[in-house]
Amino acid sequence: MILFGILVFCLVLGIIIGLQIPIAIPIIYVQYMSIGILAALDSVLGGFRAHLEGNYDNVIFLTGFVTNVLLAAGLAYLGDRLGVELYLAAIVAFGVRVFNNMAIIRRDLLKK
Amino acid sequence: MAKEIETPSSATEQKKKKKFWAGASLAVVSLILGIMLSVQFKTAEENESYGGYFRTSRVEMLTEQLQVLQEENQKLQSDLADAQTKLSNVRDENQALVDMKEELELAQMGSGAVALRGPGVILTVSDGQKITPGEDPNLQLVHDDDLLRLCNELKSSGAEAISINNERLIATSEIRCAGTTILVNWKRITPPFIIMAIGDPEMLESGLSIKGGYLEAMRYAGLQVNLQRIEDVEIPAYNGPFQFEYSTPVVAGGEEEL
Repeated sequence: MILFGILVFCLVLGIIIGLQIPIAIPIIYVQYMSIGILAALDSVLGGFRAHLEGNYDNVIFLTGFVTNVLLAAGLAYLGDRLGVELYLAAIVAFGVRVFNNMAIIRRDLLKK
Repeated sequence: MAKEIETPSSATEQKKKKKFWAGASLAVVSLILGIMLSVQFKTAEENESYGGYFRTSRVEMLTEQLQVLQEENQKLQSDLADAQTKLSNVRDENQALVDMKEELELAQMGSGAVALRGPGVILTVSDGQKITPGEDPNLQLVHDDDLLRLCNELKSSGAEAISINNERLIATSEIRCAGTTILVNWKRITPPFIIMAIGDPEMLESGLSIKGGYLEAMRYAGLQVNLQRIEDVEIPAYNGPFQFEYSTPVVAGGEEEL
């Protein structure tokens, strides 16, 4: 429960930092960024869930985060090149996982 | 910053360390997630200030539109190239038309189909008045060959157009005695004969009035001859029909011979 609070705090801190730093991604990459965000959200929720379940592995979490973000963005890019809306696959996959993870986290938290 | 749940057990030292790193990793990743989110928010907001022009769906639509427009542009460019080629062809044709008009004008001038004006001479010839007894009165009359010779003289002096009593001399014009009158272009003409010619007035005058020339002979014979230079003489067009019953133009090399 403390970890959950820390995570929310870090998220808010990150949002504040992001709003303060003068960085804006080029408009063309907004789409890839949004999919990357989805992947990152999935990773965080997945990691938190694993932590709650007690089978958390730091290496798996970090590599999973990086590869998920890159894969999602790469998939979207490839889809753009090919004219196939491949990013939809990433959105569906990560979206489903986000919901699953959220559901499990909710149950785990309620169980405690 | 890290999760610190007090578990005094020394055996769980490693586990505690692991938990710390787990919390740290999750915290860092969620920090990154937060940064990404807010950056995305900012960018999205910026897009919104452009009227949402750069939403992904919009981008796709615009890309599609761009592609369509580019194709259209390409097509139009090729159309333009076509049109330009056609235009230059038309210009060439126009040039050909102008050339043809010039050619036609020249041909009309040469054939006598148009009235002409320019500097030249007016030569008036009439029958003699003095009839001396015993002399052949025929000598006092202007004959067809008189006119013929005068016209020939004018032509050799560089006359460009000649008319006798407003009958334009063309290539087929005859000057022929017909009883008491003279026929030019199958029309009867009577004295006084007014011969008009366009050309260099000086040349025409000197060609006619050369010593020992035909004009002098006519004067000597007692005919009334008056030669006058004129700055602007108008010679009418040949007003008869151009008839070619037996002739057809010879076509050489696909081009009509003018």
